[in-house]
Amino acid sequence: MFACIHGPDAARLADSFSPFVEMVDQNTAVFSITARQLGRLKGARAAVAATVEAAILAARNLPGYTFIPPGEEARVLGALPIDTLPPDPELFETFLLWGIRSLEDLARLPSDALASRLGARGMWLQRLARGAFERPLRPQLPAAVYEESADLEHPIKLREPLLFLIARFLQDLTARLKSQSLAAASLYLTLNGSQRRHSLPFPTRDVKLLLKLVEHSLERQPPEAPVTRIRLELIPTEPRRVQHGLFTPAAPEPEKLELTLGKIRGLVGEKNVGYPELFDTHRPGFSRPAKSRSYLAFRYFRPPLEARITAERLWTRMFQGKILQIAGPWRSSGDWWRPDSWNRDEYDLALSDGALYRLYLDRPSKNWFVEGVYD
Amino acid sequence: MAAAFPLGWRHVEALDTLSAGSRDFPRGRISEIIGTRSSGRTSVLHALLAASTGRGEYAALVDTKDSFDACSAAAVGVELSRLIWVRCGGNAEHALRAADLLIQAGGFGVVALDLAEVAPSALNRIPSTAWFRFRRAVESTPTILTVVADHPLAKSCSSLTVKMPQRPAVFTGHAPFLLLSAQAAATSLESKSADAAVRCARLQKCDAG
Repeated sequence: MFACIHGPDAARLADSFSPFVEMVDQNTAVFSITARQLGRLKGARAAVAATVEAAILAARNLPGYTFIPPGEEARVLGALPIDTLPPDPELFETFLLWGIRSLEDLARLPSDALASRLGARGMWLQRLARGAFERPLRPQLPAAVYEESADLEHPIKLREPLLFLIARFLQDLTARLKSQSLAAASLYLTLNGSQRRHSLPFPTRDVKLLLKLVEHSLERQPPEAPVTRIRLELIPTEPRRVQHGLFTPAAPEPEKLELTLGKIRGLVGEKNVGYPELFDTHRPGFSRPAKSRSYLAFRYFRPPLEARITAERLWTRMFQGKILQIAGPWRSSGDWWRPDSWNRDEYDLALSDGALYRLYLDRPSKNWFVEGVYD
Repeated sequence: MAAAFPLGWRHVEALDTLSAGSRDFPRGRISEIIGTRSSGRTSVLHALLAASTGRGEYAALVDTKDSFDACSAAAVGVELSRLIWVRCGGNAEHALRAADLLIQAGGFGVVALDLAEVAPSALNRIPSTAWFRFRRAVESTPTILTVVADHPLAKSCSSLTVKMPQRPAVFTGHAPFLLLSAQAAATSLESKSADAAVRCARLQKCDAG
């Protein structure tokens, strides 16, 4: 049996009966009830019925406490007006034209004829009117937290014992994720109150992979002091589902690639590994290419080379030469409201060393820079 | 694994004129693109990356001097979302190590090691055994390992060398707003398996409007 309580205190009252409560709206709570608990409902505006929807209809529209014996739903709900059903203006207009005013009128109509005229929506409303629509309870459960923590009596100074403890945590947490058909989307590791986050490129429950990622992170950035407190949390998500194809080109295995990139990040730095992305801006070096036949590849000098220029020659710390040809200026500026705004005149320059450079004058500072070379 | 990788060479037009066999970069081998500044070496690299990512493969670029321009690469058709970019801040040793790790990871169509503009003193410190190691690592994979440099580095370990000599730039239009419109560079392909061929590569830059 299902009970429904309707009123401002519905959530609190329902909580005293069951931990699994479905809040239909702010004032309506539904839960499963046993015969022994029925006596405690009297006095509240509530209804008990064999189906969830019948209990909701009765609690919302009938005063006081209502008990609907199984099989009697249509009789008890029959007197309710038709507009107590979930609103459907188009169908309600048809019901009005047919002279249907109450749930009893709707419940009496032949089902086959109703289905052929009003379709699935009409059939659903009729089953609600009869109190015969059955659906499971949908309780709002608190989100599960997948975390493990430990306060250590003896501080851990070495990486190996720390990884041993983290591996144990990971095994427990991934087993819990597996039991719920979930995988980890990201991992939070807190050591002595300092938190580090690992965003995983794909959902996984692979303990070895997660442990390797943590190991690389600890190699790159060891804890500042011996560890006395560890907390590990996995953020759950739906697991990855991949459909492989016979003719799709080979791609790096995600697990292997992530470990490789982790090693490379340890080598060259976190911010130096990734994939390039262009932005919707006119900023030189970041903008999307215009739809033109601009096929000349470019190589940057990062940072740009400071240059000294006369009418005939150009000097930088890397090269110098006679200017053979110069084209420009092309003026560009933007983002004047930001500290990294740009305002410059660009030139294309052919030097006597045979190369083609892009030179620019930074207008605010009046300094010349060589930005790169056409190649 | 020595299957050839036919490139489209959409934007390095002269390479279209080469016979199909001689412009193919061999898989599972080391290839070198050699040239000085403005020789077109980067254009050839971008074309190779565009061809690889355009086929749905993943490519990796180990950028020793942090000089990669994503705009001009995207303009010739490199799918940036399929390109892993590793910036090494001028450290050639890190670049070699990163390339090694990427080859070991497997699954890439192209792993490009850009050593252009790296100081000769740093390049001289690379032991020749490193190239033998790369050759061994890549030979059982479908990956093309491409080295871009000012001078040949892999020497006998390389199966294909594309040499890109400089040619003078040509400006067109009316001063001062000249357009760098056509620059020709001779391209020489030295393949261990095919006859050497000499053709011209034509590069273009038009105004962005």
